[in-house]
Amino acid sequence: MPKYYGYAGRTLRINLTENQINIRPTEKRLMTEFLGGRGFNSKRLYDETLKDVDPLSPQNKLMFATGPLVGTAFPLGARFNVSAKSPLTGILGDSNAGGHFAAEMKFAGYDQIIIEGKSRKPAYIAIDDQEVQIMNAEHLVGKDVYETTEMIKKDLRDRTVQVAAVGPAAENCVAYAGIFVNLARPAARTGMGTVMASKNLKAVALKGTGRIEIANPSKFWKIVEEIEEETYVHPQYWPRRIMGTTRILMLADKLGFLPTRHFTSATFEHAAKVSGERLAREYNVKSRACFSCIVPCSRFYVIREGEYAGLYGEGPEYEALSSFTARVGNSNLNLALRAVDLANRLGLDAITTAECIAWAMELYEKGELTKKETGGLELGWGDSKAILALIEKIAYRKGFGDLLADGVKRAAKKLGKGKEIALHVKGLEIIQADPRGLKGYGLGYAVASRGADHLRSEPFIELNDDPEKGVEMFGVPEATIRLAHKGKGKLVRYFENWCAIVDSLEVCKNLAENMELLPFKRAAEITEAATGLPFTEKSLFEIGERIVNLERAYLVREGVRRRDDNLPKRFLKEPLPNGNSKGMIFEIEPMLDEYYTEREWDLKTGIPKVKKLRKIGLGYVIADLKKMGLKFD
Amino acid sequence: MKRILVNVDRCSGCRRCEMICSFSHENAFGSSISRIIVTKEDIFGLDLPIVCWHCDPCSAMENCSSKALERREEGLIFVNEKKCVGCGKCLKTCIMGAIRLHPRNNIPLICDQCDGKPQCVEKCPTKALAYMETEMQQPKLPTQIFEETLRRWRIIA
Repeated sequence: MPKYYGYAGRTLRINLTENQINIRPTEKRLMTEFLGGRGFNSKRLYDETLKDVDPLSPQNKLMFATGPLVGTAFPLGARFNVSAKSPLTGILGDSNAGGHFAAEMKFAGYDQIIIEGKSRKPAYIAIDDQEVQIMNAEHLVGKDVYETTEMIKKDLRDRTVQVAAVGPAAENCVAYAGIFVNLARPAARTGMGTVMASKNLKAVALKGTGRIEIANPSKFWKIVEEIEEETYVHPQYWPRRIMGTTRILMLADKLGFLPTRHFTSATFEHAAKVSGERLAREYNVKSRACFSCIVPCSRFYVIREGEYAGLYGEGPEYEALSSFTARVGNSNLNLALRAVDLANRLGLDAITTAECIAWAMELYEKGELTKKETGGLELGWGDSKAILALIEKIAYRKGFGDLLADGVKRAAKKLGKGKEIALHVKGLEIIQADPRGLKGYGLGYAVASRGADHLRSEPFIELNDDPEKGVEMFGVPEATIRLAHKGKGKLVRYFENWCAIVDSLEVCKNLAENMELLPFKRAAEITEAATGLPFTEKSLFEIGERIVNLERAYLVREGVRRRDDNLPKRFLKEPLPNGNSKGMIFEIEPMLDEYYTEREWDLKTGIPKVKKLRKIGLGYVIADLKKMGLKFD
Repeated sequence: MKRILVNVDRCSGCRRCEMICSFSHENAFGSSISRIIVTKEDIFGLDLPIVCWHCDPCSAMENCSSKALERREEGLIFVNEKKCVGCGKCLKTCIMGAIRLHPRNNIPLICDQCDGKPQCVEKCPTKALAYMETEMQQPKLPTQIFEETLRRWRIIA
């Protein structure tokens, strides 16, 4: 083994069909060109899951990867990406989670774990440093995420082992099942759990005794101390420590982008009743943190009275909370906590699950869906019985749940109605922020490489409505004003590159980005100090460009073009009816033009230009796309 | 004597103390080379850093067959590496479960309080650790702390 700093240094490849385990040094070139985490996964997915690979076939590959700052005292989170071709969208799938799994993966010695093939029998993988075993999981079949995690800890006689598990939803081939670590921390989006279960794989359990060394400790600690000092006095420190992301719910309501009753309203009259503030006051007993993070933004709650009294657990975060309250029109906080808990145990993506339910509710309220079609369920807004019943029916593909288990796009197609109000981009359901009230975010949904998603760009800065910042950063005052559409191409490109870096370092976007604690320059300095490899502000920005463009090339190969970079009609045609973004619609075309121009992508097709690809070292992509018969320049 | 005390409600379970400890002693990051261990039970949201209390008397010391655990004048227990045979008996006999063995040589890792300035305490992000004078010669056991906490949170009656 060559000597590594920052990185663990090994890449593990497991073939479940052949029962083969292969451990290799992580390539230095991959580090300097793709940094880690998401970058590693996207590059290998591009290389190894070609157009003809069916997401649910043994040919698909499931990859876990983490970054060079994980497993150290870097103070802003320790995350991992899990990627594969998505069974929900058919394009690039990936999802990201925090907790303690990623750091343990580093201590076990791995930067990336690639799982291919399909086990003949139900299996789980147990990793103890360089000892990798494929274990029998017949006794785990059908067990939920909590039971599975607990049973594996007992099996291995070790309570410190970190487990990434899937629930029954994944085993039943629900297209949007997630992979869960530390019980309630899912890599939920794009159906990565579904891919895992399709390989007959129930869990990955790991632990390690390895050590991560730092190339330049004095410089590393100096930057860590700078970050610590800034964090503790940051205005967002206490709100995040007390409420985590749930603090967003009241903010979204106030600014008028809180998706309510399936995006038919942008404010929720019961927002305060289901808010992060209320959780903090009446439910939360303590704060918890991801590995080595100095902002403990996760919360542990106990329901002390009322319905579901005695229920306790970690979370929820804004997306899940808001999904099972405002989005489905539910004002009962205890019910929402139960719904999130149930979705977690069964192993579902809360955002997509809630979109499917809310979509059906809107159809039902409009009289376009009958009780006969729903199998007797009454789907009025916020109906508590219906919400819980549907979560279960989806996870077990029972009755009406079977229709919803393939995601809202396919559900609309199969049902033959509701296509116009199926709220997704490229097959991935839209998150809990109305793009009409947040134009930069909206553009981000339209172009994100995994479908409707804010975590590919998260241009939070437009929330400040500060034109001076827009001029300073992009030369356009409107760029940082949330209801303006001008300048958003520049904004989204910049933030997409930033997110790609944060995802590849596998640190936390909330802190690195939203709290502005890890700008490009500092990211380069600390990565260089940790790894000893040469990184600069400029080279990191270019790595961000490279990752985004390679992911785009993956999508192009799957047939994605400009027409797919779109938002559902609701956002383009129906003005927001109420709240502080009232009257807004989403102006997609000028924004796309500006974005493609910034990206140097073809305005008509959305394919990256040859000269752009060449400039960022993606010459092989040009050859690949030309081989497919694509004509572009 | 001064000991490292824990406020279990404040601990976020981030395990930063493990990173600080391993780096100050080993110049590298790793949980397995830390002298402080955070025990976690995700299902109950419990996080409890466990670190040598330097009990008097100390059951691990009493049970060490090679008499490798010794006590300094000020009360701190340390390993005499010349005598230690790496059998791991101390790991099983420590009442707190505060000992682990170094993965390289099987020598027990025991908190040395960083010469009176414990780095884990200094750097704890939630101030869940304190370094204070206490006359308690024996610690409260983790199981008891867990039980009391769950009762306080009304998870158990």
